[in-house]
Amino acid sequence: MSSIHHADELTRRQFMSNAARAYLGVHLFPMLGGTLASAAPANVASAAKAKHVIYLFMSGGMSHVDTFDPKPKKKDVMGLTETINTKVDGFQLGHYLKNTAEVADKMCVINSMNSTQGAHEQGAYIMHTSYPMRGTIKHPSLGSWVVKLGGRIHPELPAFVAVNSAPDHAGGGFFGAKYAAALIGSPDEGLQDSHRADGVSQEDFDRRLTLADKLNREFHGRYPNADVQAYEELYREAISLMNSKDLKAFDLSQETETTRKLYGSGRFAQGCLLARRLVENGVRFIEVQLGGWDTHYDNFAGVAGRCLEFDQAYAALITDLEKLGKLHDTLVVVATEFGRTPELNVDHKNGRDHHPSAFSCVLAGGGIKGGVKHGLTDASGDKVKDGIVSVQDFNATIAHALGLPFDTVLMSPSKRPFKIADKGVPITALFG
Amino acid sequence: MIFQITCFLVAMLAELGGLMAQTPQDPKFIKQAALEIDRQIATFYRNHNLAVPPVTDDATFLRRAFLVSVGRVPTTEEALDFLEINDPTKREALVTYLLKSPGYSSHMTNWAFDLLRVTDRSVGNSGTNEPYRNWVRNAIADNMPWNELTNQLIASSGDGWDAKTAAVGYYTRDRGMPLDNLSNTMRVFLGSHMECAQCHDDPFGTTERHDFYELAAFTHGQEPLKQNFMQPLWDEYNKDKNHNTEEYRVAQVLWDRIYGMSLGGGGSGQIDLPTDYQYKNGKPGDSVGAHTPFGQAIRMSDKHPEKDGRKKLATWMVNKTGDQFSTVIANRMWKRVMGKGVYEPVDVYIPTAQSSNPELIGCLSKLMIDLNYDLRAYQNVLLMTRTFQFATNPNPSTIEGGDDFHGRKIERLSSEQIWDSLITLAVGDPDQQPRRTLDNRIFVGNEPVLVGKKTMNQLSKEVLALNSTIEVRSYFKTLMGEIQKAGGTKDEGTSMMMKQTRSYKNDAKVRASELPSPPSRGHFLYLFGSSDREVVDASSCEPNVGQVLSLMNGFVQRELVNQPNAHLYQSLKGTTSDKEKIRRLYIAILSRPPTDGEMSWMLDEVKKQGDEGFKNIVSALVMSSEFLFLQ
Repeated sequence: MSSIHHADELTRRQFMSNAARAYLGVHLFPMLGGTLASAAPANVASAAKAKHVIYLFMSGGMSHVDTFDPKPKKKDVMGLTETINTKVDGFQLGHYLKNTAEVADKMCVINSMNSTQGAHEQGAYIMHTSYPMRGTIKHPSLGSWVVKLGGRIHPELPAFVAVNSAPDHAGGGFFGAKYAAALIGSPDEGLQDSHRADGVSQEDFDRRLTLADKLNREFHGRYPNADVQAYEELYREAISLMNSKDLKAFDLSQETETTRKLYGSGRFAQGCLLARRLVENGVRFIEVQLGGWDTHYDNFAGVAGRCLEFDQAYAALITDLEKLGKLHDTLVVVATEFGRTPELNVDHKNGRDHHPSAFSCVLAGGGIKGGVKHGLTDASGDKVKDGIVSVQDFNATIAHALGLPFDTVLMSPSKRPFKIADKGVPITALFG
Repeated sequence: MIFQITCFLVAMLAELGGLMAQTPQDPKFIKQAALEIDRQIATFYRNHNLAVPPVTDDATFLRRAFLVSVGRVPTTEEALDFLEINDPTKREALVTYLLKSPGYSSHMTNWAFDLLRVTDRSVGNSGTNEPYRNWVRNAIADNMPWNELTNQLIASSGDGWDAKTAAVGYYTRDRGMPLDNLSNTMRVFLGSHMECAQCHDDPFGTTERHDFYELAAFTHGQEPLKQNFMQPLWDEYNKDKNHNTEEYRVAQVLWDRIYGMSLGGGGSGQIDLPTDYQYKNGKPGDSVGAHTPFGQAIRMSDKHPEKDGRKKLATWMVNKTGDQFSTVIANRMWKRVMGKGVYEPVDVYIPTAQSSNPELIGCLSKLMIDLNYDLRAYQNVLLMTRTFQFATNPNPSTIEGGDDFHGRKIERLSSEQIWDSLITLAVGDPDQQPRRTLDNRIFVGNEPVLVGKKTMNQLSKEVLALNSTIEVRSYFKTLMGEIQKAGGTKDEGTSMMMKQTRSYKNDAKVRASELPSPPSRGHFLYLFGSSDREVVDASSCEPNVGQVLSLMNGFVQRELVNQPNAHLYQSLKGTTSDKEKIRRLYIAILSRPPTDGEMSWMLDEVKKQGDEGFKNIVSALVMSSEFLFLQ
C-alpha cells in the first residue's frame, strides 16, 4: 500500500488502477533480500547444496538416551528401552525407531549437543533464535533469518511456513511480520482462507480492498506506526498468494491415499507430507512441531507414544524426498530444546527430567554425510565427552548447508548487532 | 507548558478538596486515589519537561474503555447511549457500568488463564483440569482478592472435584514436575526468576541451586490422596494387556480422574538434594530443610517432616516479602489498563528504589494493599484517571523497559479482544449468553453413565472416603454393578443434567473465555496469537499472513459479512436512509460516526453496488487497521 501513499492528487480512476496493481498482484515484487545472499563468500555459496530446510522440532525435550543416543550397556539408564541395530554398522537407536533405522544411512546424528537453557520457554527460544531470551528484544527465529539472508524462492508462496507450531516460535522478531511464518494449524485444512469466500465476486472483493486501503491510509497518516505498517504489507503479500497458481502446494488432498498412509496419521505426520509438497513448490523453510516430549512422568509410555508418530513420518519423509530427487537440496533437521536425565525418577513413575547438558539432534540431506554419528557422550549419556556442539554451532551448520553467510551482522532497529547463529561456527566435517 | 501542568494540578486539587472519604471501594476513595495517580504523572511531566497530552475524544474513550475493561467493542446500542448523551460525568458512569458487567470477568479470565496456564485437559492421562478451570473462572467472577486467590492456589489440598478445594489443579496440572511449577509460582506471583537455579547456581544473579531446593522443600511431597488403596486393583487392570474393557475404563475414571486429580501432602518442609548436585555446600541425597530465599525468613526442619509447608510458603509470599507481592500485581494490572507496565517486563520485580519511577510504583503498590487486593477496585481507580484518557501516541515509549506515560500507545488487540469483538458484531452482546458450566457427569470412555443418579463430585467424595484396599475393591464392584444395571438406557435424569451442563465447542460463537482452552490449532484465536497455555503469558500479537487471509476470506466473511442474520445487519432495521445505515455500521464496527469524506465514499459505494455495497463496507471496516488496533 505504501506505493500508493502519494496517490492523493491522482484521479479516482488512476487510484483504482494503482490499488489494483498493488493489491491484486498484477505487478509483483522483486525477490526479497536477494542482495544479501549474493554477499556470501563465493566459495561457501558454491559448496552449499541445500536450498530448503525442513525443521522438525520435538517440543518438550526429547529424551536422547531413549532415541538417538542409547546406552545398551547401562540397564539402569535404559529402563524399558532396548537398543536396535540399523542398516549402518555400529549405528544404533532406541527400539521405538524401527523405520528410522532403515534410513540411518542418510542421517547424521549429533549426540554432543549442549544448551545453556534448562527451562522449556528459554530452551526452545535459544534453539530457534541462537540468543537467550531478553525482556527488551524479540529475536527473529531461524526461518526468518534464512529468508532474510537467502531470499525467497517462489515469488508468491510464503517463504517460511510453520505447521503445528507455537506462534512465538515462528515470529519475525525485529525483522518484522514480513519474515514471520505463515501458520498452519491443521495440515489437512492447508492454508486456511486462501480463496475468495463463497458468493463474493471478484469485483466486490476488489472494491472491498480498495475501500479498506483508503481507510488505512487515513489511519496511518494519523498514526504512523511500525506495527500498523506491518499489516499493510501483509495485505499485499496475501493478495499475491491468493493469485498464485501454486497455491495447491498446500492441498494435501492432491496426494494419493497410499502416500498419505505412508506418513501416518496425526498433525505432525501429515505436516511432514505438507512440508515435502512445499519444498517441491519452492518454499524455503518449513517448521513442523511434534509436542508432548516432556516426559517427567512415565517416560517410557510418553516416548513410545511420541515415537510412534515421529518414526513413521520421519522415515517416510526421508524416503519420499530421496525418491523425488529433493533430498540432495533439502536439509531435514530434527531438533529439540534439551534432552532428558539418564536417571529415572522413580517417584514419578520412571520419569525423566530436563537435561540441557547433553542431548541429540539429527541432520539429513542437503549435502550432509549420512550414516554418521558426530560427538560422544559419557557412558550414561550424562555429559558430552567429545565434539561438543553448542546451539549456536548447530544453527551455524544449518546456515552453512544453505550457503548463507553465517557471519553477516545485521542491526536491530535499536542498533544492536545480531547474526544468524550468534557466535556459532559451522561443523564443516559433517558435509560430504 | 508550565501553565498547562499547573492547570492540570489546580483542577485536581479543587476536586480533592471536596472529597474526604477513606474507605476502600467507596466511590469517593476510588476517585481520590485516581487523582493521586494523576498527580504523580503530572510531577513526572514537570520533572521531564514534557507537555501534558490532551484528553481523547468521547468515541476513542468509549472504544478504549470497552476493550480494556470488558475485552470487546460496544454494541451499536451501547455506543449510541454513550455518544448521544450530554453529561459531564458520563465517562465515570461508563467505567462503573463496564466493571459491573459480566464482560469484565470474562475478559479478566483470559488474563488469568494465560498467567496460570489453565488448560482443559491434562497431558499423558485421562484426567481433566475442568474443575480447576471452573474454579479460576468463578474466583475471577466473584472478584476474589488477589492475596486470597494466591493463598488458595498455593496452599490447597484435597478433592479436585470439590468446588472448595478445586484450586489443587494448580499443582495437579503440573503433576510430575513440581520444580517447574515452583519456578512458575515465583515468576507469576513475585516476579522472581529462579528457573536457572533449578539446575545450577545462577551466574548472573544471586540465587544458588541450594536456595532453590530450600524453597522447593516447602512444597515437597505432593501426592494423590489415598491412591495407594487402589494400587493393587489398578495394577491388575493396567498390567492386563486388554485395555478395551469396561472394567478398565471405570478403573481409569477412579485412578486418573479422582485419585489423580486429588492432592495430599501439604508440603513436608524437607527435600533431598538431587543426584547430580554439584556444589560443596551439600551432597546428593542430603536432606535439606525449607528456608525462604529472601524477605522475612521462614524455616522448617530437615529432620521432622510436617504437613503445612505450602501454607507457610503462601503466607511468606503474600505477607513477608516486603512490597514485592503487591508491587508485582500492581504493575501487572497497570499494564493491563494502561497498555504498558510502569516498568517491563512485568514479570520481573525491580526493587522499588531502583526502578524507573519509584514514587509511582510505590503509590500503586500501596493502593493495591489499601484496596485489600481487590483487582476490580484497583482497575476502577486506573480507569478513572485522566492518565487513562490521554490521546493516542503512535510512537513507541521513549523510556527503554517502561512506559513514558506520554499518551496511549498504539497496540494490536489481543487475539481474544478481536474474537470477542467479532462475536459482538455477529451475535450482539455476547454477555447475554450463559457461561460455560462444569460438566459434572461421569464419563466412561466417551459415554456418560449414571446420569441423573451420580455426579463426579459425589463419586469423588465417596471414593476419597475409602480407607483400605478392601473397601476400594468392594466399592468398585458395587459401582460396576450400578453402571451395568443402568446400561445405556436414557432416563429422566439425562435431559435434566444436559440442561444444567453447558459446554461450548470450538465452533461456538461465544466469548473466548467460554471456549475450550487452549483453542484448537486452526481456530481464529490460534491464528491471531492466543497462548497455548503451556508457558506463562505466551500470547502473541505478531502479525502473519494467515490473519489477513482470515479477515479477507474466512471467519469474518462467513459469519459476519455474508450472514444476513448477523446482529450487525439486524441493528439496521428501522433505519430508512442509506446515510443512517452507514452511520450505524461505522458505530457498530469502529465505535464512531464516519467523517464527511468517508460518508461520501461509502454513499458512492452503495450507489454503485446496491445492497452488496453494504457488505463491502462492513468487510472494509473490519479489515481496517483501525478495527485491529487499540488507540
